Amino acid sequence: MKPMKNRLSIVGLVAVLTLCVSCKSEKRLAQYSAIYTERPQVIYVAPLNDLSLRRALRTVEDSLFNLSLNIASKQLFLTASDPLVYKGYYVPGPLASAQIAATEWRSGKQLRNESVADYHTDLGIDAILFITINGWASTANSWTVEAEYVLRSAQSNNELLHVSVTARKTLATDFKGNPVPLKEDEEFAKRYDCDLETAQRCRLVETLNQYVLKDLPSGQRARQHSTERYIPAHPEYFNLQIHPDGSVELKKTELTD
Amino acid sequence: MKKRLRDNRPGRASRLAAVGRRFLVLSPLVVLLAACSGEYVGMPRAEVLRYQTYPTYGGLHELATAYGEAINGAVKADTLHPGMYAEYGVTLALMGHKGAACRMLNAEMKAFPESRAMVTRIKQRLMPDLLGDTLAAPRDTANLATLAGWAYDSLKALQPLPYVAPVIDSTDTLWISMQTPADSVRTPIELTANQKRELLAQQQAEESLRKQQVADSIAAAKQAVKDKRKQDKLERERQKKEQEKVRKQQRKEREKQNKERARQRKEEREAQKKNK
Repeated sequence: MKPMKNRLSIVGLVAVLTLCVSCKSEKRLAQYSAIYTERPQVIYVAPLNDLSLRRALRTVEDSLFNLSLNIASKQLFLTASDPLVYKGYYVPGPLASAQIAATEWRSGKQLRNESVADYHTDLGIDAILFITINGWASTANSWTVEAEYVLRSAQSNNELLHVSVTARKTLATDFKGNPVPLKEDEEFAKRYDCDLETAQRCRLVETLNQYVLKDLPSGQRARQHSTERYIPAHPEYFNLQIHPDGSVELKKTELTD
Repeated sequence: MKKRLRDNRPGRASRLAAVGRRFLVLSPLVVLLAACSGEYVGMPRAEVLRYQTYPTYGGLHELATAYGEAINGAVKADTLHPGMYAEYGVTLALMGHKGAACRMLNAEMKAFPESRAMVTRIKQRLMPDLLGDTLAAPRDTANLATLAGWAYDSLKALQPLPYVAPVIDSTDTLWISMQTPADSVRTPIELTANQKRELLAQQQAEESLRKQQVADSIAAAKQAVKDKRKQDKLERERQKKEQEKVRKQQRKEREKQNKERARQRKEEREAQKKNK
């Protein structure tokens, strides 16, 4: 009876250990090993690839809806550089990027799939960030965006980062069922001179950029470059949930067939 | 006992002196902390988004002013955002202030040497005539920021200038889009009469140059359309001639074949007659 008990306890111990190991998130050194090897300094944000659908123009609401999506897409592109700059990388601004993009003769699709070595040799760019918006969705009090971030090295043409994320923002509703915006959203709408729905989308993409790109390792000049390599990194596929109180929750997406 | 304690307690004057001493010790620390925690001045996102959504001439001026102010703040707080000088330079270049733009792009290269190749490409695109000038430095960013705003106001006072952009579409039609600068409220800037006169003269010279450039570009575009039409006409004529030539050759060949066939038939008929 005793060996049987021992065997059962060993099996249980192994199962618990396996569970612990599988739950443990990956460290930044392992997740971003290519970035630690190549040490890019200059990152160029390529023009946004927006695959989301727009409404056919029948009423004024349709055009307003399309304008709201356009502004949010622009905001996603504009704010992508902020977390990278915070991390110590050199990122050209939107107008300078537009000038660089104007000299490019390849289409966006070609640029994403072909070699980008000429960016390194001609412009001194070490890596290119490609952002794709796959779709938008919204209900009365929630807004969702699906996006994909790919950072490709211009030196070796390898993928340094590939993140697929679904971000969702939910607001509390009042007794009539209308969403109650946060104070920050109202301030944003006032400062940017836009409606509240556009402000929600813009703030959502800003948070998304912060969460995806602030997870990258710091640039080689930053003093945190070597110290933060053992901090757990975000998973490659995750869901970002912004709750009505403004708190953010991050959930790993399980891939199924 | 109570009396002794009261005697030992420090008097009001000595308490004030102690507070003063503490204040003297702490005040440099507070000043130092305040100086170190300079407010971070980032890119003027609202203006950039507005300009990207509605790209107008007035929006560009607004953006230039915002960038100038942001650079002033960033230089004061020692938190210069990478690419800020380059952005301001590109904005000024789009406005037509190429000298100032060149100085800003040079400042970007100096502050961030890793941007050298990129900035050179931008210069090559926007101001090829100033590509070799890599030494000119910005004179005073504060004045530049206000200069853009003041020049805009003075221009508005003179006459609302249309922004002319000649475009040739796929049907070879020349389209000229016109946009007047949007009105915006600006704070008055105090400048001496001399400075105003100089700025106005400089602005007028730049404006006349810009007008000339626009007129030249329109003329060039018209000429290009004419040339293209002429070329197309010549091409069409050449193709017509070639087709005519080919048709003639085909006709000749067909006639030849017919003659050959007729000859063969005749020979066959003669042979049949002989056999009979």
